[in-house]
Amino acid sequence: MSNPGFNGMSPQILERARTIVDRTIQRNIKGLDFLTTPPVPVGLTPKEVLYERGTLRLYHYLPQSDEIYRVPILMVMATTNKAYVFDLAPGQSMVEYLLKQGFDVYVIDWEPPLPEERGLNLADYTQDFIPTCVDLVLEDSSEPDISIVAYCMGGVLSLIYAATHTDGPLKNLVCLTTPVNWEEMGLTAIWSDKEHFDVDRLVDTLGIIPQDFVRASFEMLRPAQRTAGQMRVWEQMWNDDFVKSFRAFDRWGAETLPLAGEYFRDTTKELMWGNKLYNGTLVINGKTAKLSDITVPIMAAQAEHDHIVAYEASKPLMQLVGSEDKEEIVLKGGHVSLIAGPNAARRMWPRLAVWLGERSV
Amino acid sequence: MADQQKKQQREQPTDPGEAFRNLITDWERNFDAMANRFMGTSEYSKAMNQFQNMQLEMQKRFNDLMAHNLSNFNMPSRDDILRLGESIRGIEKRLAAIELQLAKKGKKDKKDKDKKNKRKGPPRTKLPPSMQNENAS
Repeated sequence: MSNPGFNGMSPQILERARTIVDRTIQRNIKGLDFLTTPPVPVGLTPKEVLYERGTLRLYHYLPQSDEIYRVPILMVMATTNKAYVFDLAPGQSMVEYLLKQGFDVYVIDWEPPLPEERGLNLADYTQDFIPTCVDLVLEDSSEPDISIVAYCMGGVLSLIYAATHTDGPLKNLVCLTTPVNWEEMGLTAIWSDKEHFDVDRLVDTLGIIPQDFVRASFEMLRPAQRTAGQMRVWEQMWNDDFVKSFRAFDRWGAETLPLAGEYFRDTTKELMWGNKLYNGTLVINGKTAKLSDITVPIMAAQAEHDHIVAYEASKPLMQLVGSEDKEEIVLKGGHVSLIAGPNAARRMWPRLAVWLGERSV
Repeated sequence: MADQQKKQQREQPTDPGEAFRNLITDWERNFDAMANRFMGTSEYSKAMNQFQNMQLEMQKRFNDLMAHNLSNFNMPSRDDILRLGESIRGIEKRLAAIELQLAKKGKKDKKDKDKKNKRKGPPRTKLPPSMQNENAS
């Protein structure tokens, strides 16, 4: 015989009512905290700054294993966002995970370019910044070769670096959600259609592409995302883990970086309009960046529901590179959840660690 | 079959907040799809860029006017300052390259290298689990 519960109500209904009341109380108490506390701390894994010059930062994360793989990893962040997405919080950090798996991890991060850095272009990033950091990592680790793990636009820069430094020290390359065929960039391609988009006027007038412009171009791809996120966090205010994770991601999304004007002009004209990386006609400092010249082992990870870099934009990479040892993984998730958060910790990081581990001795 | 089960689960949520979350997810999906259809047209792109060009034109005129006034006052314009900053950046870049070359030469010294290797801590001898198993067998 079932328990009739309070006033004839079933225990299930009573339990639900109790949960609703409990969460409402907690929502009110914690809501106040949410509004008044400072931004959540991010990027807490111990590290040292190995090099800094203008917009460029090179970090070395302190090893957390008694024995490490021979080949160091250099992670290259996209130029539009801060690299702490690789190290959001203890237990939610790709860097921390790799350190614990026995890797020696270096990260290229970007600061907002200063007004006098408006002239930085694609060649500066691919023929100066990345090679300089590669040299510094080799020097610091006393190793002759290196693996690069790059995210989004960082992947594009790394592909150009790899294609123009074929006799260099690169041993392995991992590209995470990296666009190659820019014609498949969906709304971004439509909005920057050369019929309507005057990139010269934008760059010549502003010098540095403002943070608001970059942020808006991401947010416009999913206009309801911010409002829906706020509603979700209000509903989940009682759930400390959810709120902590939301605040870290929200902070990261809000801290979008401005871009150097010439770099933006190059990206628009050479990659978006000319699709030259895909066509094999991209010339940087007199060198042609042909993806078919990349022969090092390469892994590409794509997200099934990526709204920024559609799968069709990154898919051709595997066919275009000249590598024999190549692997593509397509995982559930979106552009950011591929690399950070519980989804990434469960699906992507372990596969990355296994793939790199086998090629890092 | 799996879809039907999912549908049933959504119709009878066990968590009291689940219905609300599903509602938000559906609203977000539908709103984004509708907005993307609207914003994915050539007409929208044209209108958006025309508006942006208008703003940029206004800013350019203001910049030109300000530069003209500063010039009349015999003061450097923003562009003059930026050019100065750029040339300092250029010097910094060359200095950084020289520093790097010097550091490389310096570190070729064996003593330094040995010292550095000691400082580096963990040995770089780790093997992946697959190779550890091979070695063990």
